Amino acid sequence: MRVTLQEELDQLESALQEEGALVLRALRGTLNALAQQDAELADEVIAFDDEIDAVYLGIQEGIQSLLARQTPVAVDLRLVLAVLHNNLHLERMADYCVTIAKLTKLVQEAEAAETLIEGFEEMGSRAEEMIRVALDSFADRNLDRAESLVDLDELIDRANRRVVHHVLSLGGDPDKREWGLRMIIVSRCLERIGDHAVDIGEQTAFLVTGEFREFTDASHPVDGTTPRHMD
Amino acid sequence: MVNIIEPMTQIAQSVRTETPFEPKEKIFEVRDLTVSYSGDPALRGVSLDVYQNAITAFIGPSGCGKSTFIRCFNRMNDLIPTATIEGTILYHGADLYDDEVDPVEVRKRIGMVFQKPNPFPKSIFDNVAFGPRVLGMEGSMDGIVEKALQNAALWDEVKDRLKESALSLSGGQQQRLCIARCLAVEPDVILMDEPASALDPISTTRIEDLMHELKREYTIVIVTHNMQQAARVADMTAFFSVEVSNGDRTGILVEYDVTSKIFTQPSDRRTEDYVTGRFG
Amino acid sequence: MSRAMRGRLFKAALLLSLAIAFITLGTLLVDVLQKGLPYVDSILLTNPPSADPDRAGARPAILATIYIGVLLILFTVPLGVGTAIYLEEYANKERWYNRLLEVNIQNLAAVPSIVYGILGLAFLVRGIGLGRVLLAGALILTLLVLPTIIIAAREAIRAVPDSIRQGAYALGATQWQVVWRQVLPAALPGIATGSILSLSRAIGETAPLLLIGALTYVAFDPTLTGSFTALPVQIYNWTKQPQDEFKLLAAAAIVVLLVILLTLNAFAIFLRNRYQKRW
Repeated sequence: MRVTLQEELDQLESALQEEGALVLRALRGTLNALAQQDAELADEVIAFDDEIDAVYLGIQEGIQSLLARQTPVAVDLRLVLAVLHNNLHLERMADYCVTIAKLTKLVQEAEAAETLIEGFEEMGSRAEEMIRVALDSFADRNLDRAESLVDLDELIDRANRRVVHHVLSLGGDPDKREWGLRMIIVSRCLERIGDHAVDIGEQTAFLVTGEFREFTDASHPVDGTTPRHMD
Repeated sequence: MVNIIEPMTQIAQSVRTETPFEPKEKIFEVRDLTVSYSGDPALRGVSLDVYQNAITAFIGPSGCGKSTFIRCFNRMNDLIPTATIEGTILYHGADLYDDEVDPVEVRKRIGMVFQKPNPFPKSIFDNVAFGPRVLGMEGSMDGIVEKALQNAALWDEVKDRLKESALSLSGGQQQRLCIARCLAVEPDVILMDEPASALDPISTTRIEDLMHELKREYTIVIVTHNMQQAARVADMTAFFSVEVSNGDRTGILVEYDVTSKIFTQPSDRRTEDYVTGRFG
Repeated sequence: MSRAMRGRLFKAALLLSLAIAFITLGTLLVDVLQKGLPYVDSILLTNPPSADPDRAGARPAILATIYIGVLLILFTVPLGVGTAIYLEEYANKERWYNRLLEVNIQNLAAVPSIVYGILGLAFLVRGIGLGRVLLAGALILTLLVLPTIIIAAREAIRAVPDSIRQGAYALGATQWQVVWRQVLPAALPGIATGSILSLSRAIGETAPLLLIGALTYVAFDPTLTGSFTALPVQIYNWTKQPQDEFKLLAAAAIVVLLVILLTLNAFAIFLRNRYQKRW
């Protein structure tokens, strides 16, 4: 029943997953460019963002058309709204990848601190993992897995704080200090990518439970062990 | 450094969010059509093209002439002595109202399903077989009837009781029977005048899903006063409204476009007022 | 007077009318049956009339009535249904001549049967020289009954919903096909009922037959072009006889006539109930 509606919902979801795959490729590209200080690769990543924007726009228009014509309700409506939000989150993630790439180009000539680079690779891998978990748990409607994103995010947050420490300890060399500042922004971008992945997880919760809520309350930071369920 | 970014244009294009409607061949071309009853125009100056294998919907407030309009396509208005038609309708490029054209032949190719299901007071089998019989179609009647009922998604429900009266079916089944009856003569086009307005929501959804199936082989034109239905099923939508001048009410075509445009960003203010429910 | 009281009075008045009708009819029937039933036997049915009441029968009359009945069906049904189809399906109702036709038919249905008798005498028996024969009698009764059948057939055809016609036209049927294959079959029960009722009225008609010369004493079996009599005429004849036995025979013949009529009516009711369509 309602064959057309179902087809269009399926198309929207699979477009979203495709967009996620594209974001993962952009992230991997920008991480590699950062690690190898490869300006050419960074340029490719920046150009790549146009493609992601095209998909973003396509999904946006698809949602508008679907809402106008099919008037979905209940779980169908929640799905469309969740796709709407996730579309935005993925696009923001892609923008952060671009920011990292631009910063990579800026500090191409600088001398990179080894530990920091390794740290970024670790943060980046974590972020990649979070994106995968977020998208998979959305596809499977797996609430528990979505909630596990909070713990993963905590790890990135801690790594971010360590980067700040490290930059502060870099010393007085102006070149090194400039590089350090830029790297703080890179770190922040990766941390924000993690946050957006958590947001995607929250959309999974909305889709499944109908409750639109944050997994963690800003004024009550989680101790890192048990996520809070607010029933 | 391995370039992990593949050429992206192909991938972006393959990510489909909605199959956009591309108008293909024109099957009807209407030019400046005016229909009058006893000299009073009920519908004036309508021009539009109907595309093949698409679902085209006519929407608008009551009295805007959309039922009158759809009946022009299969010359059913010929049966009303007081009706006169000016303007042209081309069907596959030929004038539908030419003197040489036989209305009976027109109706074989352009079938119609009505608002209230109107099965004949005969058996289910005889209902579906009526059209083929009066037209002298060749082939085994059993085969023709079964195929039509299959295409109307009714076969499984009635295959064991073909000899029973058609009046024993439920409303939704009767309407699908009328569709089967229409399909049995192998038309080109199916006209539907408010096909689901007398049915309950579940039957309505079944008919809408059926339309989606049927449009692969046929061209479908529907009149509906339920604009959500038009939004759900139609590829192209035409909005008609009523023009009042000197106390005379005449129907006119306001806007005709791809359905998603009509319901997301209509060009005419009157269309927007109607679809948002603020008027009409 | 309170409304409830008025309601009850009204109901009582209705019951009273019903009672009067029933009692009158009932008395007549009972009387006839009492007198006539004992005399309904094979002699009545198989013997020709004779001056001797013990041997008198009504065979020629019964046969003639049956022949007239058959001829009536053959003549009136095609003519009547055909006219009704023309008026309902083909005629443009706005035209003056069609409206005139309609008014004409309504009026004809109300003309007294004796006028048809005079008509028949003037035109059929004398005018075209048919003579006082069975065929003339059948033709006259045809004219008598035709308007009623046309009206009944028109009602039956009108009762067929227009949506059926629209559906048939939309499938590519011609006007003839729509009429022959959809309208007529659907109207058939109504037409049949109307025809049978008209027929039973005609069978009971005496005046026209007398006028065109149904003889009162016919001892031979009837033929189409020969002299004839009919059951009502035979009854009339027997009641005029002096002997009391003939009056009883008349009662018996009445019983036979009633049986024929009631059977026909019962058949009409059966047809109507069996084929009644619910739209």
